[in-house]
Amino acid sequence: MRTSDYIEQAWTNLWKKKLRTFLTTGGVVIGIGALVCMFAFGQGVQRNIRDQFDEMDLLNYINVSPRHGRQPEPAEFDPDAPETYSDAVPAGEPNKPVTVLDDKFIDGLMQMEGVEAAFPEMRFPAQVGLGKEDRFTFIQVVTAKACRSGLIQLRAGQPYASDDPNEMMISDSLLRRLGNTKPETAVGQKVEIRTIILDFSLASLMRMAFARGDQRLPISDQRYTFTIVGVIERMGFGGPMPIRSDACIPPGAAGRMRKLVLTGVSDLFQPAEQMAGYSTVTVRVASPSQVATVEAKLEERGLRTFALMDQLEEMQKGFIIVDMFLLAVGMIGVTVASLGIVNTMVMSILERYREIGVMKAVGATDGDVQRIFLFESGMIGLLGGAFGLALAWVVSFVINQVVNGFTAREGVPFIQYFSFPWWLCLGGIGFSVLVSLIAGIYPTRRAAHVDPVVALRHD
Amino acid sequence: MDGDGFIQVQDLTKVYSLGSVEVVALRNATLSVDRGQFVGVTGTSGSGKSTLMNLLGGLDTPSSGSIRVDGRRISDLSKAELALFRRHTVGMIFQSFNLVASYSALENVAFPLLFAGVAKKERARRAAELLNLVDLGARLNHRPTELSGGEQQRVAIARALANQPQILLADEPTGNLDSKTSEQIVRLLANLRAERRLTIVMISHEEALLREFADRMVYLQDGAVVSQEVVRDGP
Repeated sequence: MRTSDYIEQAWTNLWKKKLRTFLTTGGVVIGIGALVCMFAFGQGVQRNIRDQFDEMDLLNYINVSPRHGRQPEPAEFDPDAPETYSDAVPAGEPNKPVTVLDDKFIDGLMQMEGVEAAFPEMRFPAQVGLGKEDRFTFIQVVTAKACRSGLIQLRAGQPYASDDPNEMMISDSLLRRLGNTKPETAVGQKVEIRTIILDFSLASLMRMAFARGDQRLPISDQRYTFTIVGVIERMGFGGPMPIRSDACIPPGAAGRMRKLVLTGVSDLFQPAEQMAGYSTVTVRVASPSQVATVEAKLEERGLRTFALMDQLEEMQKGFIIVDMFLLAVGMIGVTVASLGIVNTMVMSILERYREIGVMKAVGATDGDVQRIFLFESGMIGLLGGAFGLALAWVVSFVINQVVNGFTAREGVPFIQYFSFPWWLCLGGIGFSVLVSLIAGIYPTRRAAHVDPVVALRHD
Repeated sequence: MDGDGFIQVQDLTKVYSLGSVEVVALRNATLSVDRGQFVGVTGTSGSGKSTLMNLLGGLDTPSSGSIRVDGRRISDLSKAELALFRRHTVGMIFQSFNLVASYSALENVAFPLLFAGVAKKERARRAAELLNLVDLGARLNHRPTELSGGEQQRVAIARALANQPQILLADEPTGNLDSKTSEQIVRLLANLRAERRLTIVMISHEEALLREFADRMVYLQDGAVVSQEVVRDGP
């Protein structure tokens, strides 16, 4: 028999039983649709994260910080002992002097091959007030040069021109929390920044001494007025991104402010030498391929490095686990659909029992008979896969519209939560055909082994 | 017996197992059919006529004994080889016609050509030609339910001839037909035998009708060939 004849036979026979074909194929459509939808969602999440990384150039950055002195190692292995830190200096190695991350160090970094730029990271806690609203945040000190390097996308205004003025850039999310939803109107407005300082004045000490029940610290605040010059479109999310605060001010202005530079309690445990410099310096390399080389050079100098590139492999493992989970959930529908195919094929073979006898009487081999029914089974899978893909696309479109409809009210830009790469589309259809063929193996083998003598007598 | 022994059946036995009981459907049957002969096989119900037909057509395999067709021992063929034998060497017609109800007359006749790998257009052309041969040229697109019993059997005959077989096996082809139609059908078979130099083995209860057209009669009883009679010199 010719392949075209198998296809035509399969189509003709399925068309004769329209309702049954529709119901069986409907099961496959739902099963494959759910599976593809789940996978498309997983792919969408991965694509969005990758796109965000690409958009922010996150893979080009290395965070550099000094090592925290030396960790003692246990004399013998003790399973109950706490784990040693991965950044501990190996036992037996003499204590090296801690590298101070100061401006001289940054100048040296800039000379290193592959390094495009290096930015110190300096952040301090503050209360930012606009009109009657105020919010707590961390303010980051960013040079004017860094602001102009194209790393920051502005929704309104422009970066400050020099490192000196009392000017600031504010994120649109902080601005919204401060009650302003129109970034363009914020430019030029005055903002009050309130820092905290240690206050050992007599008045402060008296307040602390007479505080009842309250464990007051010798702390008071300082207020500074800044002008908003730019509104930053989107902030980083905690990766090795140079800008990861909701407010940025130039170093000259920061230098004039009295403030407590603490980002957490852990800062209090920093060695005294290290307190002299920046806690972290962010290095931008020309391309992600140079990250490993630059990291190795920095680690040779006793520095600790962190790059998101290193985390990619771990993230990809995580993505695979997510994909596997989604696959397992989606397979429930496909399994149910495949049972539907088995049922349909068994019914079809019982109904056409005598016809199978005729096929054999006129010269069909067992293989011919099996292939005729396998093509029918495969065609159910093909139709189910194609329409399942269409269903998945429609469902994802509706979900995208509904979710984005809600999030748009919060000012979140439109996000495609689903991704349909070509391999998922082809794979979805291919998988559907494969599952249908597997489901068809048992019934079609039964058909192939029908005894023609019995079948021709069958009513 | 003189002749070319185109079909040679030797000590053919078929035993069916029904649970623990063994039923001997055919017992040491021996007969010979010459090329182009019309042989009528008759006997009472349960005499083994249909079993003999199924074995000759390669639909079933014997428990012992042998069948040779044109010198080839078909009783030893594999399942796939038997399928090719049925496809190219024999055509079969049955009492209940065994047409595919959902197919038109044309599609039914073209059905065997599908398995022979004949192209669609050629299948249609040959099927139409065969339906013309059996005087059904005007009923090509009619389904079996729209045809009379005699017409359905003529479609079945056309289908049996599709792959130009050398042997036509007819298992009670007149069993569901009235006497007039029965005679027309057997006459058609006899004419086709002459036109196409077919070898025909036909089973029927209607001995008189068989004797009218057959060259030789074979009588079966309780699974055994009890007698053979030359009715006329042929072919």
